[in-house]
Amino acid sequence: MQLNLNSKASILFRKREFGIFVFILILLLVFGSLEPRFFRSDNMSAILSSVGILMVVGAGQTLVIVTRNIDLSVGSTLGVSAMVMGMIARENQDFPIVGLIVISMVVGGICGLLNGLLVSYGKIPAIIATLGTLAVFRGVVFLVSDNVQIDPNDVPQGIISLSTTSPFRIPWLLIFAFFSITLVWYISSKTLFGKRIYAVGSNPEGAVSRGLSFNKLTIFVFIFVGVLAGLGGVLYTARYATINPADVGRGLEFEVISAVVIGGTNIFGGSGTALGTALGCILIGILSNGLTVVGVSPFWKACATGFLILVAVTIDNLVRKRQEEKFLLAIRNQRVVK
Amino acid sequence: MSQLTKQDARFKVPGYLVGPILILVVALIYGSLGSEYFLDPSSIVFNTGRYIEIGLLALALTFVIINGDIDLSVASTLAASAAVLAKLFERNVPILWCCVASIFTGLVLGLINGLIVIKFGLPSLVVTLATLALYRGLAQVMLGDGVVSDYPENFVGFDQRLIIGGNPGLPAPLALFIVSSLFFYYILHRSNYGIKNFMTGSNPSTASFSGISVNRVRLLAFALSGTMAGICAVMITSRLGSTISNVGLGLELLAITAVVLGGTDIFGGRGSVTGTVVALFAIMAVREALVIQDINGQVQDAAVGALLILTVLVPTIRSTFIEKRKRSKRFNQAKSTNMTG
Repeated sequence: MQLNLNSKASILFRKREFGIFVFILILLLVFGSLEPRFFRSDNMSAILSSVGILMVVGAGQTLVIVTRNIDLSVGSTLGVSAMVMGMIARENQDFPIVGLIVISMVVGGICGLLNGLLVSYGKIPAIIATLGTLAVFRGVVFLVSDNVQIDPNDVPQGIISLSTTSPFRIPWLLIFAFFSITLVWYISSKTLFGKRIYAVGSNPEGAVSRGLSFNKLTIFVFIFVGVLAGLGGVLYTARYATINPADVGRGLEFEVISAVVIGGTNIFGGSGTALGTALGCILIGILSNGLTVVGVSPFWKACATGFLILVAVTIDNLVRKRQEEKFLLAIRNQRVVK
Repeated sequence: MSQLTKQDARFKVPGYLVGPILILVVALIYGSLGSEYFLDPSSIVFNTGRYIEIGLLALALTFVIINGDIDLSVASTLAASAAVLAKLFERNVPILWCCVASIFTGLVLGLINGLIVIKFGLPSLVVTLATLALYRGLAQVMLGDGVVSDYPENFVGFDQRLIIGGNPGLPAPLALFIVSSLFFYYILHRSNYGIKNFMTGSNPSTASFSGISVNRVRLLAFALSGTMAGICAVMITSRLGSTISNVGLGLELLAITAVVLGGTDIFGGRGSVTGTVVALFAIMAVREALVIQDINGQVQDAAVGALLILTVLVPTIRSTFIEKRKRSKRFNQAKSTNMTG
C-alpha cells in the first residue's frame, strides 16, 4: 500500500488529537440524537464552563506529566489559594479584583515552588512529595481559615461575575481556560524552553548530560502548575461562590490527571500536548453532561469516566506499539538498501 | 537479599525504620503530655480498631509497590465489595455468604486490575486511576444514594469483640492484623514468592531472564491487594454497621502513605513488612496524639503528610552533606600531599 505520508490530510489523521476529536463528535451525535435539547446553546455553554477549571489546571498538569513528574496536590493548592483570596476579600470588601487574582496565583505559585524544591533538590519522587503536600496544603486551608467557610455574600461581586458576565458573550472563565491552553501550547511548541521540557521528559539522563538543568526545569513546571491552580482557585470561587475548607478542590487531582491522560499525554513523560488535554477535558465534560441530559442515572458518571480512561490508554498504547514497529521496520529496510 | 548473606550478630535497627520509630516515640511522648490516659494500654489497644483497615490495605500494597506497580484503586475496590455485601444482604442472603461474596468481589476486581496491566502492558498508575473511578462508580450504581443498615446483631461490632478477654485484652481486628502481618512477613521475607517479588521490582527484565514469571508475580500481588480490600470491606461494614457508596473514600492515600513511610521504595525493589507495620503505628500515634490535643482531622492528615516528606527528605539531605564532607576531605588530602610531594 503506497501512501503519501507527508500530505497534510494524512498528518492530520495520524495525530493523536484527531482520534479524541472524532470520539467527541460521535458522542455529540449520540447524545444529540437521543435528546435534541442537548444541542441548545445554554447546555453547550454549561458544558464548557463546567470544564473551564479542569482545563486551566490540566494545562499546567500536562507540562508536569511531560517531565515524568506528577502533581497530586493541585486540588489542595487550589484550595489554599482560593481560601487566602477569599479571606482577603472578606476583610476588605473593595480590594481590586485584579489584585485578588494576582494574590491567588502567587499563593498557588508558592505552593508549586515548594513542590518543585522537594522534587528537584530534595530528590523525592514527585508522586510521594505531592502525596505529602496534598495533605499538608489541605491542612493549611484549615489552619488559615480556622474551619470557617467563606459565604457567597462575602465573595466580591466582581469575582462572581467572572463566570457570568462576558466580553463578546464568552464568560471570562472560558477566556482564562483558552488562555492557559494557548500558553502551554505556545511554550511547548514555539519556545526553546518548551523543547527542553520535552527533552528532559523523554530522556532525563540524556538531557542532563547535554547540559540542561533538570532542577530548574522541574521547579519551573511545578511553579507553573501551582500558578494555574491558583487561577483555578479564582475560577472555582467565581463558579461556586462558596469556599468550604473541606470541599474546595477536593478530588480535583484525579479528575485533572484523568483528563490529561485521556488527552494522550504519556504518564511516563516525554509526550503530550495542550490541545489533547483541552479535548480530554471537553470529552469528560460532554460525557458527564450528556449522560445527565439523556436521563442516565448520574451514578454512572464515575463508571463512564473510568472506562473512558481505560479505552483511551489502551488505544493509545496499541497505536504507539504499531508506530514503533513501523519505525523499526523502516530502519531495517534502510540498512538492507545500504 | 538479607537472607542470602550471613546475619550480623549484633542487632541493628535498619535505616528505614529510624524515621517511623522516631515519629512513633515523639508522638507517644507528645500525646502523654496532652493527657495522662493517652498511654493507658486498654485505650491504645481499642484505638487501633479504626486503623486496622488502613493497615491491612497497606500490607497488601507493600507487595504491589515492591513489584514496581501501584494500586490506587484499593479504596474503590473496598467500596464495590462493600456494595456487593450490602446488596446481597438486602436480598436476604445469609450474612456469611455475603461476606464470602464481598471478599470474592475484591479478588475479582484485583485480578481485573492485574490482567489489564499485564495483558495490555499499560502503566499500573493509569489503570488503577481508571479503576479508582470505575469501581467507585460501580458502588454508586449499586447503592445509589441509599444507606443499607440493619445488619444482624452477631455481624455488627467486629471491632468491639475480644479474642483474649481482660484488661487491656486483644480486640479481634488487632488480632487479625497481627496474624496477617506475620503471614505477610513470612511470605515476603521467608518464602520463594517474596524473593521473586523483590527481583521483579528491582529489575523485571533480568528477573524474567532468570526464569521468573514476572507477570504471574505481579498478577498475584494485584489479586492479593484486591482480596485484602474485600476483607477490609467486611470489616468496615461490621464496624460501621451500615453501608453507603462513599465508604472508605480517600483511604488509598493513607495506605500508600503508610507503605512509603515504612521505607518501601515507590519505584519497587525495596521494602519490608516490618516497615509498613511500624509506619502504620507511627501514623496512628501521631493522629491519636493530635486527637487528644483536639486538633482537626484534616490537620492530622497534614501532619502525617509533612512527616512523610520529612522521612524521605532527611536521609537525602544527610547523605548529601556526608558526601560533601568526604569530597572536601579528599580534596584537602590531595592538596596537602601535593604540597609536601
